[in-house]
Amino acid sequence: MNPTMKTRIKRFTPLQRIFHLFLMLTFLIQGATGLARMFVETSWGKNLGYVFGGYEAARTVHIYVGIIMLCGLALHIIYLMVKVNWRKFPSSLHGPDSLLFSLKDVKDFFQHIAWFFGAKKAPHFDRWGYWEKFDYWAVFWGMIILGATGLLLAYQMAASRIMPGWGLNVALWVHRIEAILAMAHVFLIHFFVGHLRRHNFPMDRAMFEGSVKLEDARHERPAWIARLEQGGELDGVLVPEAMTPQRVIYYIFGFAAVAAGLYLLIGALINVRYISW
Amino acid sequence: MDRFRPFKLWFAGILCFGLIFTGSMTSAQEEVASAIRRYKAYEASTGYYEEYEVRPRHQRPLIGVPNIREGIFPYSPTIAKVRSRTHLADSHQGIRFYTGRQCADCHPAAALDIHTTRANLTCRQCHGDEPIASINFYWSPLNPIRRHAYVCAKCHEGASASYAAYVVHAPNPALAKTFDEFPILAWAFWIMVVIAVGTFVLFLPHTILWGIRELFVKKKTKEKKTIEPDNENAD
Repeated sequence: MNPTMKTRIKRFTPLQRIFHLFLMLTFLIQGATGLARMFVETSWGKNLGYVFGGYEAARTVHIYVGIIMLCGLALHIIYLMVKVNWRKFPSSLHGPDSLLFSLKDVKDFFQHIAWFFGAKKAPHFDRWGYWEKFDYWAVFWGMIILGATGLLLAYQMAASRIMPGWGLNVALWVHRIEAILAMAHVFLIHFFVGHLRRHNFPMDRAMFEGSVKLEDARHERPAWIARLEQGGELDGVLVPEAMTPQRVIYYIFGFAAVAAGLYLLIGALINVRYISW
Repeated sequence: MDRFRPFKLWFAGILCFGLIFTGSMTSAQEEVASAIRRYKAYEASTGYYEEYEVRPRHQRPLIGVPNIREGIFPYSPTIAKVRSRTHLADSHQGIRFYTGRQCADCHPAAALDIHTTRANLTCRQCHGDEPIASINFYWSPLNPIRRHAYVCAKCHEGASASYAAYVVHAPNPALAKTFDEFPILAWAFWIMVVIAVGTFVLFLPHTILWGIRELFVKKKTKEKKTIEPDNENAD
């Protein structure tokens, strides 16, 4: 195949990919350091902690990476503010390219479920599926909950000036459950959807390469392609495939992240009965 | 005979005077109540701990062992105060074979908190040596009026009374009785559990069914829409 042939359709900008890469790395570090502390009573947890310099050092890394994540969230919000078309606000927030939920997402969800059982045809997804919108907003929700409770726990003395100390008991449990939810969702559901389902197997390179195969997009997101064709915009968003060395790097990086996530998930599941909550 | 005797007596007198008055000044350093401004600045507490800031009035904190007489006569409160090593009441008084027991034998749940399991603290590092008084006993170092300064601040420098309201031996939030003991914790826990379980109840079967369904999908082989760069330029 001619390497300059434009067989792929652009889906993410370089900045969006950098945001994802940043989130991926920081999330894995937070998962590893958080579990290292939670599982310190087990040898698995202790060994995980040694990677970051031990139990206490893992906390330091956890706090600083958490603050960096919150800075990333702030930058992303600024990015969104810049991207919003304020002249047509608030109607500009809605539309097929928007990540805000719409009635179509609800319809798509139920039609998708019906399709699983062969009761209906597959829904015609546009640029963003409902599961992708959920993943996107779950990060906001998770980072606000984890960030707020994490700051309270990290700076306990300051926190106890604005709330009674028993608030830290509550913050600890909220932080724990939200972190478990986030890790389990990413390591089980997000990884499965991105890697294991037949459509994307062995890996959806979209978040690394920034594009997906036009052929695949036409199959899974026909409404998006039809819209672009109708508006005559399709040709403008087609891009060639990345060079082979680049793709190798994407795969190595993607699989390393999956391996790290699964290591954390499986290790936590095996050792969960040995820790005291 | 001893020409230095007046000087010795004078020196001894000054020494006694100094010891007596220095001791008085030291003992004058009383617990600082939160009503005093310098503590108030560091507290966000509702002041609920202040209910403990009252000395036991007519109660005698230094009661001897009931029905046990030391010597011919039982100890009076005064002599007990002299003989007692501390001012603390003994919460474990009368427990059989007490000396051979571990704290966790009778308080198993209390030995599972984060301070014990992760920071490797022993019970006595906070609760002190024998006799161990109830944490609400007036002279207990763990009494909320002084816990932050006497106990928490040993490791958590700068601990305030508000900070010391952290519940070290927090109840298991999953238990029904926690709704009575620590309702906010129980509610927060169960709300988070419902969110987490709800997410998985929805998305786990969804993901599995999706994965299975895609195994039976035939991809349509349509003509590929591609553009050769050269052609694009030519157009």
